[in-house]
Order: sequence, then structure tokens, then C-alpha cells
Amino acid sequence: MNTTIIEKDGKYIVTLEGELDTAHALEFEEAMKPLHDVTEKEIIIECTELEYIASSGLRILLGLLKSAKARGNKVVLKNLNDEIKDVFKMTGFIDLFVIE
Amino acid sequence: MKKTQKTHWTAVGAKTSVAILVTAALLMLALSAVQSYYARKEIRANLERNTELDLVIKAQKIKYSLDAVEAALQNHIDDIEQSLPYPDSLFSVTRRIVEQNPDFDGCCIAMIPDYYPEKGRLFQPCSYRDGDTIDTYLYDVEKYDYTQIAYFYFAVNNDTAYWSEPYLDPDDSSTTLVTYNFPVHDPSGRVVALLGVDLDAAWLGDILNSHGLFPSSYNLLLSGKGRLICGPNPAEVKHQDVKDMVAMINDSTLKRSLSHTGKSTILAFIDKEDGEQGHVFYNSPKLIAPWQIVTVNYDEEVFAPLIQTRRRNIVLTLIGLLILAFIIHRSAQSIYRLRDANAEKQRMDNEMMIAKNIQMNMLPETYPPFPDRNDLDIYGSLVPAKMVGGDLYDFFIRDEKLYFCIGDVSGKSVPAALVMAVTHSLFLSISSHESHPARIMQGINESLCRGNESNMFVTFFIGVLDLPTGLMRYCNAGHNPPLIIKGDLVEPLPAKANLSMGVIDEYDYMMQQIYVEPETMIVLYTDGLTEAKNLDHKQFGLEKTLKVLKGCHDATATQLVQTLTKKVDAYVGEAEPSDDLTLLAIRYTPKEESWTLSRSITLDNDVSQVTELNQFVQSVTEELQLEKALSRRIKLAVEEVVVNIMNYAYVADVKGQVKVEAMANDERLRFILTDSGRAFDPTAVSRADTTLTLEDRPIGGLGILLVRNLMDSINYERIDGQNILRIEKKI
Repeated sequence: MNTTIIEKDGKYIVTLEGELDTAHALEFEEAMKPLHDVTEKEIIIECTELEYIASSGLRILLGLLKSAKARGNKVVLKNLNDEIKDVFKMTGFIDLFVIE
Repeated sequence: MKKTQKTHWTAVGAKTSVAILVTAALLMLALSAVQSYYARKEIRANLERNTELDLVIKAQKIKYSLDAVEAALQNHIDDIEQSLPYPDSLFSVTRRIVEQNPDFDGCCIAMIPDYYPEKGRLFQPCSYRDGDTIDTYLYDVEKYDYTQIAYFYFAVNNDTAYWSEPYLDPDDSSTTLVTYNFPVHDPSGRVVALLGVDLDAAWLGDILNSHGLFPSSYNLLLSGKGRLICGPNPAEVKHQDVKDMVAMINDSTLKRSLSHTGKSTILAFIDKEDGEQGHVFYNSPKLIAPWQIVTVNYDEEVFAPLIQTRRRNIVLTLIGLLILAFIIHRSAQSIYRLRDANAEKQRMDNEMMIAKNIQMNMLPETYPPFPDRNDLDIYGSLVPAKMVGGDLYDFFIRDEKLYFCIGDVSGKSVPAALVMAVTHSLFLSISSHESHPARIMQGINESLCRGNESNMFVTFFIGVLDLPTGLMRYCNAGHNPPLIIKGDLVEPLPAKANLSMGVIDEYDYMMQQIYVEPETMIVLYTDGLTEAKNLDHKQFGLEKTLKVLKGCHDATATQLVQTLTKKVDAYVGEAEPSDDLTLLAIRYTPKEESWTLSRSITLDNDVSQVTELNQFVQSVTEELQLEKALSRRIKLAVEEVVVNIMNYAYVADVKGQVKVEAMANDERLRFILTDSGRAFDPTAVSRADTTLTLEDRPIGGLGILLVRNLMDSINYERIDGQNILRIEKKI
């Protein structure tokens, strides 16, 4: 599981790789913490290489979305694979997130 | 809609009412017309009789009057006959006659020609009244030759008294006079003169009209030639002028033929001026021949009683019609009320039918209910005694547990059905997240007790059969314990009665449990079975039930229920069903599974162990050669349940383990997770609402939601201090 965050043109681009299971959730949560402090930015989460996500990972994304909304940030999820999209559908997250 | 219909009905009713009234009115009018016709005939006949009689009486009166005149003259005749030799004394004789008879207008003695040669050819001494005085003189025979009068020679030659035709008084044209001529004889008996007495005919008129049959009736006296001798006082003639009347009578051709038959001739007339109708009767009685006597009657008066009767009839008819209208109105109203009541009953019946359908739709409808399963055989039936009933039963499977219930609400019909519906929905809603039957019972009981003003109560039995293990937990609330059929053995399930629901809200319901052996049949029933009564009011009873069930050990659930129903129907026969009959039979038929793959791993309750778990799951799915997507789904589901156990089964910092067993065959892949932590039933967690907004979404609750979505079934049991969770997926 790899999480990289780069800032480019005033946007944050988060690239997720590998499997986001519960064992890696804590690590992921830590990695994402800086994004909770930004304001009025677009946060793009690039998921092309994300193979798997457990509910623990979903919870971290939900936490990010809630704080982003409070701080005027915009969160966009990009290139979810079909299985992850299904998970988003099952949980109703598909309606909460901007997914491109 | 309803209003239009009512208006329409009222219009039809009004039309009918009017038709009845019109018919009644016509009938009454016809009746009245017939009555009138006969009454008129009767009156007419009476009139004829009375008039005839009246005419006779009047003729007699006239005759008496004339006889009186003759009698009076008879006295004077002697006087005249003695005075014949002294012609000049005749003057005083005439004077005396007038003096002595106030009714006489005057008199004269007309000698036959040449009786007194010295007096000339004709000699006629006279005395006439002129006011209060009497003039006595010699009639001017030069001017007026009395022998030229038609009756003179007639009377002389025939030696008969004779009444002249009426004539107008030459001195007073308003007076009609008649002259009575009486023959005077000389000693040899030869007629030598006629004594003529002039009488004012009005005198006879007064006698004639002294009284009439009707106020406007009057009588006339006509001479033989039809001239009016006398009639009523002109002031008393209300209608047609007397002259016209006389003319009409004289015009009548009938007069000639009928006037001497002794019977009156009747002529109808219409008054020229006022159109008043009337009838004239005239007759010429021999008594006063050749005079004719006439009576004039006016229909208005003749038929006055009839008209009065008719008026009274009309008033009575109107009153009758009003009464009839009132009666029709009242009966129409009661008909409407009856019709409304019928419509209301129809509507109630329809609504009851709808209610019955609704109630029946609440119950399981399709059998077999679980065609995909081979571990259950279920059949249920509810036959309500009334349109809607207070019995209920239901069952469903949630997380590999069969939830079933049977109940009977006290009372019948609508109130019972309402409580039944409430109980049913409470059962469904509480057991959707609660698997503990006593807690389900408590939940329902609390709700039922709340505001149970009508003190309805419900006997209820709830069973929760764990299908993988056969462990059945149950709770009874005053209901008949189900019967258990194991081979040839039929016995009631040992079930504590507890208290019926709806009585005490804090009642502590006791749960019981048994392991149901394979092939066991559980038969649930309401007292509609055991208390079904035949015509002798004897109950079907438990004994008979057990006997029937003993013969049913090989029967399917359907056969069993139908057999039992038939037996009860036959027993009840023609008797009115007294209670709903509800039966539910459940046969538990678990199948032993054989596995081609069986593996396990034991993990510490530490989420960092998820990596090992995922590797384990991956190795299992790889061995089963599942597609990547399916593998990931299964991996996610297993991770979610395991993480759930790690997070919730153990109190923080307490070390524990989770055993993960995987088993598979060609059909399915099953994971069994066992831990020794505190009792934790993830299936009882209420489902996360996926429709909430971001702000309202809780962070937790997603795991179990995902598991339910990803796997085919999930099942939890707490057995021997261990949480056992099974999840299964068809592969």
C-alpha cells in the first residue's frame, strides 16, 4: 500500500497504490492527515492503481470528505476500478463523493 | 359520486311519488264524477216528484180560490135574477157586488141582445173600482160590442161559467185582468145574461207564488191559449224575464203533444242574460183546465246540495291527497333509509372483504416459501371464522435463522384483526434486528401494553430456529405449546406459559431452547383447533389432535395441515365455526454437507493480523480458482467480519483469538469465525442507512453492510460461550 501526495497548480493529487485493507488503514490515515489542514483546495485522489479497499479505508475517506467540506476543499476520486465502484455503490458513498 | 347517486335516487323517488299522487287524484276525481252523476240523477228525480206534487197542490189552491169566487157570485146571481124585471136596479146590484167583494176589480151584467127592447139592442150595467171609489155606469156598447167577444155566445149557448183569456186592463196596462163569466137565467131557465167579474190576476199570482220549491223558483199561470194570466211579483224574478219564459213555453212544440197527459212537460233553458241554466215544468191539470200551471226552477239552486257536496269532496280529496303525499314522503324516506342502510351494509361488507384480503396478504401466501432451500418444509393455513379474524402466523428467514410465530388475539372480528395487524407488524419490525425470541416478545408486549385501553390481549408463540445448528430458541406468551412430532412420538413442546401479551408491560418473558433433531415436525396451532365445536358443543380437543398427528409422521407439512383441517371440518360439520383455525407445520430437514476443501487459521485480535487473514483467504480462493473479482469480494467480506470481531468481541487490551475456518465444495464456500469474546451478534446491528447525507453519515456500520452485500448469507450463534459467525457464498 502506497500513498503519495503531491501539490501541483494549487491542487493536491493523492495517488493510491495497492490494497487498502484494515492492516494498512492506520498508515493511510497518517498519510492523509496533512490534507485535513488545507483550505479551499481541490484534492484529487487518483485510484488507478488502487486494487482493494476495506470499510476502514472508506471511513478514512469519509473523514477526509467531512473535514474538506468544512474547510472549503473539494475532493474528487478518479479512476476507481469496478469492484471498488461496487463497494462505493453498496455503501451509498457513490452519492457522497465526486467520482470521475 | 355518492351525492349524485343519491340525487338521482331522490329524483326517481319524486317521480314515483308524483305518479302515485296523480293516479290517486284521478281515481278520486273519477269516483267523485260517478258519484255526482248518480247524485244528480237522484236530485233530478226528486225534483220531478216534488214539482209534480207542487203543481198539483198549487192547482188545487187556484181551484179553491176560483171556487171561492164562484161561491161568492152564486149569492149575487139570485139577486140579479130577481132584479131582471127592473133593468135599472141592475146598476145597484153591480155596485153591491163590487162593494161586497174587495177582490173584484169590477163587474158587469151583459144582457143578451134585445132583452130590454127599451134599452136598445145591448145593455150592460157596470161597476168598477177607481181608487177607493166605485163607479157605476152603463157600459158604452156603441164603442165596445160585448157580443163580439168569442166566449159570449159560447157561454150563453152552453149555459156555462167561463173564464176569459187574460187581458190588459184598458185603464191600467200594468194590470192583467181575467173575467169570470157566469150565466144568469130568467124564471124560465133561459140564459139571458152573463155576469162578468173582473179580477186582477195578480191576486192569483200571489196565491201561486206564496211559496216556491227553491228561493228563485216561481210559478206561472197560463191561459189555455198560452197567455200569461199571472206570475210572480216582477221584483222577485231574478233571472229570465217572465215574458221570455212564456214565449219559450209557447214555442215549445212539445207543449202541444204533452200538455194534457196529466204529467208535466219539462223544458231545459239557459237564461239569455246571465247564462243561468234551469228547467221549466208545466202541466194543465183538469182541475183548472184549460189553464196551465208552470214552475220554473234554476239548476244552481236545484243542484246546490250537489255542488256543495262536490266542493266538500274536492276539499276532502285535497286533504286525502295531502295525507297520501305525506305518507308517500314518509315511506319514501324510510325506503331511502333502508336503502342507505343496505348500501352501508354493502359497503361495510366490501370493506370487510378488503380488510380480509389485507389481513390474508399479511400472511405467507406462496408455498413452498423457500424453493431454494432443502432444509425446511413449511406449510401454514388460517381459516377465519368471521370475515376478519384475530389469529395470525408468519415466518421468515433472516441470516440463516427461521423466525416463526403464531398468535391469537382475544375477541373476534375487527378489533381483534386490528390488534393482530399491529402485533404482526411489531413482530416483523422487531425481529428484523433482534434474534432473541424473549426480547422480541418483550418488545411487542411493551408496544401492545402502551395505550391498550380496550384490554385486548394476545397469546403468542415465537420460535427462532438456527438452521445451521438446529438450535431453536423460543418464547411462549400464554399460547398453546406447539406439538413436536419425532417419528411416532407426538408431544407438546415443553414451553413455559408466561403471560399473554398486552397485559403487563414490564413482564419478563422467559426464553427456552432446544436442539431440533433432523426430520422433526413442529406443529403450531391456535385454540381454533382444539376448541372447534361440533353441533353438540363438544370440543375437538387435544387428544384427537394428537391421534391425528400420530398418523402423520411421514406426511409433508402441507399434507399434515390439510389432513388436520379436514378432520376438524368433518368434526365441526354443520356447526357454526366458533373461532379462527390456524395451523403452521414446520419440518426441519438439514442436510449433511461434504467439503472438498477445509482449512483454518487462528489470528490474534489485532488488526495488523489482517494481512495474514487476507493471504489466507487469497490462498483459499486461488485454490478454488475463483475469478479475481469474486475473490476480492470474498476477501473483503471476510476481512470486514474478522475486523468487526477484533474490534467489538473483545474489550480493549484483552488478548483473544479469532479462529477462521474455510470450507468449500463445488457449490459453496463457507467461512466460520469463532471467538471466545463477549457475546456479539453482528447480524443484530441495524443496517446502515446508505441514503443519509454526508453530515448525517456515521463513520461505523459499514462493515456488516458490506458483508451482507458481498455474501449470500450470514448467520450468528452464541454456543457454549463462543461467538460463531458463518458467512457463505455460492461459487
